[in-house]
Amino acid sequence: MTDPTINSRDDLIRYLDAALALEHATIPVYLTAYYSIHSTTNSDAAHIIRVTAVEEMLHLTLVANVMNAVGGSPDLTRPGFVPSYPAYLPDGEDDFTVDLRPFSPEAVETFCKIERPRKAPDPQARLMAVRPEESLLVGSPTASGIRFYSIGEFYEEIMEGLQRLAAEDPKLFSGDESRQVGPEQFYSGGGMIIEVHDLASACRALQLISEQGEGLDTGVYDAEGELAHYYRFRQLQFGRYYQKGDKADAPSGPELDIDWDEVWKVKVSPKLADYPPGSELAAAAAAFNTDYGAFLTLLTRAFNGEPDRLQDAVWWMFRLRDSVNRLIRNPLPGSDGLHAGPTFEVTGTGGALS
Amino acid sequence: MTAPSLDDFVALSVDLTAFGETDLLGTGLGSPYLAKLRGACGDAVVTALFAAHQAARAESAGDPDGFDRALRYRIFSDDCLGPVARNVIKLWYAGTWYGLPPEWTDSYGAQSAAQTSTVTAASYQEGLLWRAIGANPPGAKAPGFGSWAEPPRIDDRYLKGARR
Repeated sequence: MTDPTINSRDDLIRYLDAALALEHATIPVYLTAYYSIHSTTNSDAAHIIRVTAVEEMLHLTLVANVMNAVGGSPDLTRPGFVPSYPAYLPDGEDDFTVDLRPFSPEAVETFCKIERPRKAPDPQARLMAVRPEESLLVGSPTASGIRFYSIGEFYEEIMEGLQRLAAEDPKLFSGDESRQVGPEQFYSGGGMIIEVHDLASACRALQLISEQGEGLDTGVYDAEGELAHYYRFRQLQFGRYYQKGDKADAPSGPELDIDWDEVWKVKVSPKLADYPPGSELAAAAAAFNTDYGAFLTLLTRAFNGEPDRLQDAVWWMFRLRDSVNRLIRNPLPGSDGLHAGPTFEVTGTGGALS
Repeated sequence: MTAPSLDDFVALSVDLTAFGETDLLGTGLGSPYLAKLRGACGDAVVTALFAAHQAARAESAGDPDGFDRALRYRIFSDDCLGPVARNVIKLWYAGTWYGLPPEWTDSYGAQSAAQTSTVTAASYQEGLLWRAIGANPPGAKAPGFGSWAEPPRIDDRYLKGARR
């Protein structure tokens, strides 16, 4: 029997910090694919990816609420918060890396792996040894050399830890309520935000993340009648939508209209070092990273007592969108016709808010 | 005659619009705009326009005032190339190809694609005029609630030393 890895409030906060990084780490992956799609084409695929990316933003905010409820301070500016792509996610079998890729069958394959529902064969198998060469997006933050069977199992561990700690410590949920992000600040964004004040609301928030994502064993549709992310992406592989009553391997809804060629062929996981030194394009890529760092600083402030700042985050995101579009439409010199893309190389300092 | 190249078109457009290559290619419309230009004017005119631009660059040897004069002399005051160059500017800024004046088509021929038209559904929203005035195209590229309270972002190179 594996020992619990969450035995104190500090352990819990370290787990939630890892969850924050995990939720965020999927967003650049989805956005790169989303913005690589030629505008006015592939609307089915673009919609599926966009909706998922927006739900990841909800998840990020839900984790921040849970963290604030137990007295933590979400920090999206710490060094290493944004992974260096390609990066590993936890998975039970052969390792796979998560790349920043243009919309392609390979990208969808990665999306499915990220969101794959994976119930460990038995509770003891939830935690797995890390191979030494692996760099993980989510290993256990408290027990070194341990990683999770799946993202679903990672959240199971957090919920069990929460329940144990809440039973031991009646003051676990003593965070300042004014730090909670509520529906007046977060709206039209992938579902209803949940303010967290106690164990029940914390579990509801984490359950929502699990169900919307890969889920545990909830099936094709979740409790709200929504398709889990994994099955949404499977639709792109099948070329067909699910409808109620479908089995996982046989969607029977309308066909999706997918054209893999109507895509800017972005270089996979580009780095600033791939850009011609001193070029206008390199400056644009660097400026995006600076802006992205500043945006993470803004979110950090919003999650640390200034929730009204999320209103500014909206136009920051649109500004980032325009920068990504500009980059992706530019050929990257010296890359055999591949295109430029955002590198998401953000230093831990976060940059100054302008 | 080799087909007019996108590189030459972008180089010309950088000098005509005062936007950088990254911004122009960042609209995603370089190739469709070049195709429109060729369809509207014919390759002979387009090739002559690019050649005049390169000659202006070469003879001014990096001197901005000299280059300005050379552009006016070789292109803007030319009966054939002037209206085409002005149309290229309007194309990038407004996303619309404006039909050339009748005097021009009388002299240099009316091509099949010479009429006023938008180039693609994306060209309105990608028009440089919106970037130039620091605004979003109405009805597209939503800037987000409250963004209008922020000052527009203006690249340093356009500020000419002025402070924000």
